[in-house]
Amino acid sequence: MNFRLKVGSELHSLEVSPLDESRRATVTCGDITRTIAVEAVDSNHLNVRVDGQSRNLFVAAAPGGTWVWAEGRARFVEDADKVERRKSSGPLDQPVAVTPPTPATVMRVMVEVCQVVEKGQPCVVVSAMKMEITLAAPYAGTIIAVNTEAGAKVMPGEILVDIEPLAEAIADE
Amino acid sequence: MFTKILVANRGEIAVRIMRTAREMNIASVAVYSEADRTSQHVLTADEAVFLGGSDPAESYLNLDKIISAAKETGAEAIHPGYGFLAENPAFAQRVSDEGLVFVGPPAESMRLLGNKTTARRLMSEGNVPVIPGMTAAESDIRLLQAAADEIGYPVLVKAAAGGGGKGMRIVRTAGELADAAALATSEALSAFGDGSIYLEKYLDRPRHVEFQVLADMHGNVVHLFERECSIQRRHQKIIEETPSPALSPELRERMGAAAVSAARAGGYVNAGTVEFLLDRSGAFYFLEVNTRLQVEHPITEMTTGLDLVRRQMEIAAGLPLPFTQQDVHRRGHAIECRIYAEDPEADFMPSPGKIIYARSPEGPGVRYDHAVYSGWDVPVNYDPILGKLVVWAEDRTSACARMTRALKECVILGVKTPIEFLLDVLLSPEFQAGDTHTHFIEEHFASWRPSAADDDLTALGFALNEMLGPRIADRGDQAGPAQPVSPWHRLGAWDLIR
Repeated sequence: MNFRLKVGSELHSLEVSPLDESRRATVTCGDITRTIAVEAVDSNHLNVRVDGQSRNLFVAAAPGGTWVWAEGRARFVEDADKVERRKSSGPLDQPVAVTPPTPATVMRVMVEVCQVVEKGQPCVVVSAMKMEITLAAPYAGTIIAVNTEAGAKVMPGEILVDIEPLAEAIADE
Repeated sequence: MFTKILVANRGEIAVRIMRTAREMNIASVAVYSEADRTSQHVLTADEAVFLGGSDPAESYLNLDKIISAAKETGAEAIHPGYGFLAENPAFAQRVSDEGLVFVGPPAESMRLLGNKTTARRLMSEGNVPVIPGMTAAESDIRLLQAAADEIGYPVLVKAAAGGGGKGMRIVRTAGELADAAALATSEALSAFGDGSIYLEKYLDRPRHVEFQVLADMHGNVVHLFERECSIQRRHQKIIEETPSPALSPELRERMGAAAVSAARAGGYVNAGTVEFLLDRSGAFYFLEVNTRLQVEHPITEMTTGLDLVRRQMEIAAGLPLPFTQQDVHRRGHAIECRIYAEDPEADFMPSPGKIIYARSPEGPGVRYDHAVYSGWDVPVNYDPILGKLVVWAEDRTSACARMTRALKECVILGVKTPIEFLLDVLLSPEFQAGDTHTHFIEEHFASWRPSAADDDLTALGFALNEMLGPRIADRGDQAGPAQPVSPWHRLGAWDLIR
């Protein structure tokens, strides 16, 4: 089977032959081919032998991909083809907007409608897990809507303040 | 001794306290909020009382609800853990006014020492060296400006009421002071219910060295040696160890004596921690007293063999310390790594969510105090600590090796954790050389990125997992219990119990 996988931002292509009766296979990655053997210890635990070296991997399926743990390092691994399909149908990958990085509570709104803001100017202060985070304007512009208020519970992706970019700001980008 | 205690806290520390309670034959009562209905501390306790909404003000910070939970269940004492109400003198006072025992210092001592500016004044009077800074909290920005000019920049803005780095800001120029003071006030207000702040001199690359003290009601005070907690991110400790690689026996003795005088000066009773900053020249300055059990207390337990929670309960029950300073010995080296739900790649931003799979490290010299399990949702409402991985070994080199081994066994999948970051710190030549200071992370790990060395292996793990497909059923005969457990068998057992 051929896999095109995204580990972090890197693409990994590998070809794995079907597993034989003793769960052995050959894996080709670029121009390197290795013999591996795998045992499923339980639904989250794989014991993999790569060229005879035993490694324990832990896996956990999550929406959009699978967490894989090797030697203390956890990676979110995605099927690259599925990621590309999601991207082409969905909104921009990195929305440039005033939105919290984590679920949070709004502490203060520091701007109002019609106010002109500089790039980097603090707009909203949110609190998550007892830590305050200042959300700044990603570009210079005019505030056209404030969609939140102090005390509101907000989620990543929720646009707390709409900013209409200034003409120069667009030209800069 | 008490027969039942209420633990006014949650997470790993509540679980840790309940474990000692059980060993002492003391029943434990958990309290919980909406977000914590199935949290580990609720599952560990003998009884659990629902307090209210997930917001701390409606649950873990609500004095009235906690007191009535204690009365309702017949608990005789309340252990506050760390955080929440642990350093709130009004709570300690209220507990004793209600005829219950507060497992911690008397309210008055907490008031004196817990307020950092008062504590500084007390220490100066008792000849314990203090860092140059303000001796009273201040909110007027003009007075703060004047004080900062006198101390000299850079200065540190600190919350008078709290610890854990909350409300703390470094200010390098006069222009930054007003904003930093406003942010620190608001953070302190939300974390401790008291927005008072003060300023002190900011030291360059000091070590954080603290001493554990124990004081009973009969005037006996001992220290249980130091903990070095220099490895910090955002002014919050993430790796702690004991002994400190920086202390000579002579310096240790002087600092220990200063810690004992600090505790005496504040009329301290119960377990407490006297924190110092140690500069490059070997001079040390009093930082603050933490009037509670510390997060990092297990490393002291590992090296001294003492159970600090047991000592706390005995002291609270009025028993004298059963040993003197000469009887306190320690052996080997212990290290703690704090494991938070946070993203080390994104400035350690909290990373709440579901823990899809968790597996605990085990083996010689390993202790894992945690409150996570597969399927548990990490609530967004509280401090993101998941657990503390602690190791003990004969010496520092073996302890580093053991911690590295244990971190590689500590599996948490579903939320971001700093485990990989901690591993890289442990393996760094600077940490291994013991050359640690409070700016260590900024200096050596500011641009840290995860290593891609094992990414091929993780990709292979994904591929093999897909190829093997769902597999819980086909291994049921080998892995799980031999026979499915019939509910009727269980009912039979319940009948016997009744």
